Amino acid sequence: MAGLELLSDQGYRVDGRRARELRKIQARMGVFAQADGSAYIEQGNTKALAVVYGVPRGIGGVRSRALPDRALVNCQYSSATFSTGERKRRPHGDRKSCEMGLQLRQTFEAAILTQLHPRSQIDIYVQVLQADGGTYAACVNAATLAVLDAGIPMRDFVCACSAGFVEGTALADLSHVEEAAGGPQLALALLPASGQIALLEMDARLHEDHLEQVLEAAAQAARDVHTLLDHVVRQHVREASILLGD
Amino acid sequence: MLQKREKVLLLRTFQGRTLRIVREHYLRPCVPCNSPLCPQPAACRNEGKLLSSDVTHYVIPDWKVVQDYLEILEFPELKGIIFMQTACQAVQHQRGRRQYNKLRNLLKDARHDCILFANEFQQHCYLPRERGESMEKWQTRSIYNAAVWYYHHCQDRMPIVMVTEDEEAIQQYGSETEGVFVISFKSRQERENESQESHGKEYPEHLPLEVLEAGIKSGRYIQGILNVNKHRAQIEAFVRLQGASSKDSGLISDILIHGMKARNRSIHGDVVVVELLPKNEWKGRIAALCENDSDDKALGESPSEPMPTGRVVGILQKNWRDYVVTFPSKEEVQSQGKNAQKILVTPWDYRIPKIRISTQQAEALQDFRVVVRIDSWESTSVYPNGHFVRVLGRIGDLEGEIATILVENSISVVPFSEAQMCEMPVNTPENPWKVSPEEEQERKDLRKTHLVFSIDPKGCEDVDDTLSVRTLNNGNLELGVHIADVTHFVAPNSYIDVEARTRATTYYLADRRYDMLPSILSADLCSLLGGVDRYAVSVMWELDETSYEIKKVWYGRTIIRSAYKLFYEAAQELLDGNFSIVDDIPELKDLDEKSRQAKLEELVWAIGKLTDIARHIRAKRDRCGALELEGVEVRVQLDEKKNIHDLIPKQPLEVHETVAECMILANHWVAKKIWENFPHQALLRQHPSPHQEFFSELRECAKAKGFFIDTRSNKTLADSLDNANDPNDPIVNRLLRSMATQAMSNALYFSTGSCAEEEFHHYGLALDKYTHFTSPIRRYSDIVVHRLLMAAISKDKKMEMKENLLSNKDLEELCRHINNRNRAAQHSQKQSTELFQCMYFKDKDPETEERCISDGVIYSIRTNGVLVFIPRFGIKGAAYLKNKDGLVISCGPDSRSEWKPGSLQRFQNKIISTTTAGQSVTFHLFDHVTVRISVQALRCHSDTIRLEIISNKPYMIPNTELFHQSSLLLKSELVKEVTRSMEEAQLAQEVKVNIIQEEYQEYCQTKGQSLYTLLEEIRDLALLDVSSNYRT
Repeated sequence: MAGLELLSDQGYRVDGRRARELRKIQARMGVFAQADGSAYIEQGNTKALAVVYGVPRGIGGVRSRALPDRALVNCQYSSATFSTGERKRRPHGDRKSCEMGLQLRQTFEAAILTQLHPRSQIDIYVQVLQADGGTYAACVNAATLAVLDAGIPMRDFVCACSAGFVEGTALADLSHVEEAAGGPQLALALLPASGQIALLEMDARLHEDHLEQVLEAAAQAARDVHTLLDHVVRQHVREASILLGD
Repeated sequence: MLQKREKVLLLRTFQGRTLRIVREHYLRPCVPCNSPLCPQPAACRNEGKLLSSDVTHYVIPDWKVVQDYLEILEFPELKGIIFMQTACQAVQHQRGRRQYNKLRNLLKDARHDCILFANEFQQHCYLPRERGESMEKWQTRSIYNAAVWYYHHCQDRMPIVMVTEDEEAIQQYGSETEGVFVISFKSRQERENESQESHGKEYPEHLPLEVLEAGIKSGRYIQGILNVNKHRAQIEAFVRLQGASSKDSGLISDILIHGMKARNRSIHGDVVVVELLPKNEWKGRIAALCENDSDDKALGESPSEPMPTGRVVGILQKNWRDYVVTFPSKEEVQSQGKNAQKILVTPWDYRIPKIRISTQQAEALQDFRVVVRIDSWESTSVYPNGHFVRVLGRIGDLEGEIATILVENSISVVPFSEAQMCEMPVNTPENPWKVSPEEEQERKDLRKTHLVFSIDPKGCEDVDDTLSVRTLNNGNLELGVHIADVTHFVAPNSYIDVEARTRATTYYLADRRYDMLPSILSADLCSLLGGVDRYAVSVMWELDETSYEIKKVWYGRTIIRSAYKLFYEAAQELLDGNFSIVDDIPELKDLDEKSRQAKLEELVWAIGKLTDIARHIRAKRDRCGALELEGVEVRVQLDEKKNIHDLIPKQPLEVHETVAECMILANHWVAKKIWENFPHQALLRQHPSPHQEFFSELRECAKAKGFFIDTRSNKTLADSLDNANDPNDPIVNRLLRSMATQAMSNALYFSTGSCAEEEFHHYGLALDKYTHFTSPIRRYSDIVVHRLLMAAISKDKKMEMKENLLSNKDLEELCRHINNRNRAAQHSQKQSTELFQCMYFKDKDPETEERCISDGVIYSIRTNGVLVFIPRFGIKGAAYLKNKDGLVISCGPDSRSEWKPGSLQRFQNKIISTTTAGQSVTFHLFDHVTVRISVQALRCHSDTIRLEIISNKPYMIPNTELFHQSSLLLKSELVKEVTRSMEEAQLAQEVKVNIIQEEYQEYCQTKGQSLYTLLEEIRDLALLDVSSNYRT
C-alpha cells in the first residue's frame, strides 16, 4: 500500500472536503496591545500569529541598511517547537525559517507601499503555533491582517493559498497529509483586486499542461480567502469604532 | 456549510514510538445518496449511477461482509447494494489494494446495481469513535447509524437490510428501528479454520513492503512478473524483468525460479520481488521434453548452461483471478484420507498450483468443471486455500469446455441487457430506420455524387469499410475510404458503450462468435450494405492524375449509399477482364443490357483505378520504408493455419492487397491527424522492433539448411526470408517465416502521451504512425479513434468540442485493457481450435484410422525428442525419441520404428538415436517423418494431441485422390463434424429423435472484411504462440 487515497472516486479528499474547498478559516486582528499591529489566524489546524512593528520607528540596528527611497521590510519566521506531531527542536535561523522569511519579505515588498516611508523599517514577525500544511499561506494571510492592523498603507490585501495536483485534479489548500504524499505543490500569493501575483512558488515537477489548472485553483482559493479576510477586517473595524464611539 | 471536527489518531512510528496525530474531518449536510427515492435530488447532487427503482429493499453489507464475501456481492442478481464508506475504508486498510480495486471497479461498473454512500462525511451519519471503543465496534455502529439515516432520508419508503456477521450487532440493533433489518449473512459454505498444518512452516515469510521497496531501489532485489513454464509448472518459473530494474542490474535474460520453495507462494502473473542467488547455485533450464503429468521427476538430462537464478522474497501485487478446476476422481478422494472435508482440486491451467477447498459436494461435482477463487496462502500451508464459486459444465462436454476457455481468459459474454438494447435505434419493417433531416444537413451527402462499393469475402454481414474513386473536374483523382459511423449510434458512456468497452473486441471462437455490439448495429444499421443509406465517416484524398501524389485530404462525416457489395473473387474477375462473373452480381442482374453495360464499365474502371493507386502507394511504401514482410507473411500464416483456409483462397488475389492497402492508408492518415491535434491523448498502434537475440534460433535453423538470414532491419529480414526457399520443400520457408514472426513482439495500442515519439513506429508496416480506424464494428479501439477524429475535426472548425476526450492517463488504462482483451481473444480462439482438433481425433482409433497417420516436419530438436509440424492439419506437437521406460526409437530397414534400449545424442541440428545393438538413426532438422496422431485424454486439463513417429521416411500417400480430398479438411468442416457428433450423442441420450437439423451454422460473418484485417489478426495470433516453449 503506497499510502492513502488522496482523492476518492466520489471526489472527496481525506478530510472530507471536495477538490476546490478550503479549510475552515478563523482570524482575529489586534491580539497584542504592545505591537503596532497583530493578527492570529487558523486555517484548519494550521495556526499562525503575526506581529508588525511599523513605520514610525526608524531604523533599528545597523543604520547603513536604511534605504534612501523606500522603507525596508524585514520579515522573520519561526515555528514553535510544539507545532508538529513529532517533538523536534528547531534552532533559530535554520535554513527553512530563513527561506520562509525571505519569501515573506518578497511578498510584502510587492504589496506594501514602501516608497511612502523612505529610510524607515517595517518588521513583520510570524510564528507558526501549529503546522498542518500550508504554513506559508497561513503566514502571509496572518501578516496581511497584522499589517492592516498596524495601519501601514498597502496596494491591496495579499492573500495566499496553496494548491496541489492529484490524479488529474487540482486540489486547493493542501493539508499536511496531502503535502506529505509528495505530489507537486504550488504556493501562490495574490493581490486579489488587480489579480497580480506577488509570489509564486512551485516544488516538484508538474507537466506544463496542468499548470494552468493548478494555478487557477490556487488563484480562486486566494480570492475566496480574500472574501473571508475582508469580512474579518470589516468586523474588526466595526468593533473598534463601537468601542471608540462609546 | 461544512462543519469541522477533529479526529485524533494514535499511530506507531517505525521507531516504535507512539505519535499523536490530529486530523481535521469536515462534515457536510448533503452527500449524494444516489437513490431514485431521494426527496431533494438537487440538494444531494446525485450524478451518475443511481440505484435501480425496482428493488424491494436496499442491502447494506457490514464491513466484515464486504471484506470477506465481496465475490458474492459481485453477483449481478444482487441489486440495490449500498456500500458504506466506512466499509470501503475497512477493505482498503485490511485487505489491501487488490481487493479494494475490485470494489472500486464494482462501484464504477454501470451494470452493477450498487453505490457508495460517503457516510463519514455526512453530518448526521458521522459518529466519532468513543474512548475505548474498538475499531470493529465503531465501524459496525457507524454503518448501522448511516443505514438508519438513509432509511429516513428516503422518507421511510424503502426498507433497508443490513447484513452482518456480528451476532452482537444483531442482538443490539436488530429491533431498534422499524424498517431497518439487521440479519446475518448465511454463507453457503462452512469455513473451517485451517489448523491441520499449523506445525512447521512450508515457506519462508514474505518480507515487509518497506524492505522490498528499499531493496528494489538499492538494486538488491529485482522486481518482475512471474511466468510459470507451462510444461514444467512444478519446477520452472521465470521472472520477466520490469522496466527500470533490468537496466540497473545489467541482466538481459529472465531470472529462473527453480522449484516451488523458491517460488514462495507466488502464482503465475503476480508481480514479485526476487533476490538473486549466488552464482554457484545458478541452474540451467531443461531443454528436454517432458509430459505435463509427470511431476518433478528428476530427468536424467543435463540442463543447459546456468542462467541467473533467484528466489521470491515478496509479492508486490497478486494477480489472482477465477480459476477453472476439476475435483479429483473417487479413488483419489479416498487416498486423500482422513480429512475428507478439505479437497485438493486441480486447476485447468497447468501453471496454477493445486488449490485446497472445503466442500461437502465433492462427490457430486466430480464430473464437472468448476470455478474457484483463491482466498489466501499461508506460509504454513503447501497449497493455497480457496472456495467454490460455481459450476460450468460437464467435463468433455462441448459447452462446458468452451465455458472453461472463456473463464480462463476472463471473458464474460452475457447477452445484451434490456437497458442496453433500449438505447438502440429501431429498424423493423413497420418502422424502418431513416436518415434524419438534421443529420442530412450536417453531413456531406455522397449518395448522388460518388460511386461507393465494398469488397468483402462472400456472405459477409458486417461491412464496415467501403471504397470510392472518381475523377474531379480539375482532372485530379479522388480516392475515398468510408467507414461505418458507429460512434453516431454509440454515445460515450452510454450503457452500450460501457459494455462494448468491457468486451473491447468481438471474440471469435472456432465455432461461434461473441459480438462486441448488438446485431442490430453490427449486421444492420452500421453495416454498409448495398443499396441503402448509411452514415459513414470518410477520409478522402485528392491525388494527382498521373503521379498519384496526395494533394489534399479531407476527413468528415458523410452519408453514403453503397452501390455494390462485391466479393473478392468477383472483383478479381472484373479486374482481369472476365465479365462472365457479372451474373453473380445481384445489383446488375435486373438491368437491361444497355444500362448494365454502362454501369459495368464504370465499375470496372473504378476497380482498375483503385488497384493502380494501391500498387503505387504500396511501391512507395516499399521504397521509403521498404518491407515486403507483411504480404508474404500472411500467405504463409494462412497456409500454415489451415483452419482459416476456408475464408480466403489459397493464392491471395491482388484485390485483397488493394483493399488492404487502402485501409492501411486510411489508418495511417487518421493516425497522423489525431496525433497532430491531440499530441498527448491520441490512441495509436505501435509495433516495436524485435530484439536481435530472439532471432538466434531462426538463424541457427536456417544455417542448417544453408540459408543466411539477415535480421538487422525489417527490409533485410524480408529479403533474406524470400531467398531462403528450398525448391524441393516449400514447408521449410513456411517454418522459417513462422519462426521469424514468433521472434517478434506484439503490436500494441498505446496513448501518445505515454511514450516518446520515436517509439510510435510500426515495424511490420514500416510506418511512423499507425492506428486502427477501419473496423469500429468489431474493435473498441476504432471507436475511440473515431471519437478522436471527430473531436479533431470540430477543433479544426473552431467549434466547441462536444465530447470529453479521455485524458492520457485514462487512455493509457484503456489501451492496457484493450490489449489485454485482444490477447484473451487470441488465446481463446487458439484454445478453442485446439479443442476442436482434439475432439476430431478423439473418436478415431489411431491404430486403424487412416487419417490419423500423416506426414510431419521436424522443426526443433530437444534432448529427448523433436517438435513436429503437421502441415495437413496445422498441428504442432512434440514427439518423443525416448519413452518413459528409457527405450529409444530405432528404425529398421523397412523404416518402421520400434522401441529398443539405447541412447540419444543431441547436436545443433540433428539428433542421433543409437540402440545397444549398434543400430542408429538420425533425425535432421526439417526432415520429413511419418507420425501417428492420437489424443491424450486428460481429466483435469484440456485434451492434448500426441504424436508418435512411426517411420523416418515421409508419409507416402497410398491414394492420391484420397489425399486431395482429405487434405482439404477445412476448419469449418472439422468444426461441423465435431458439432454433429456431439449433437448425435445428445440425441441418442434423449429418446425422442428430432429432425436433425442439417443446416449447421456456417460462418456467416467473417473474421474480417478484408485481407488487411485478417492479416492483422493472423499475425497477432502467430506472434503470440502461447503453447510454444518459453523462450529466453
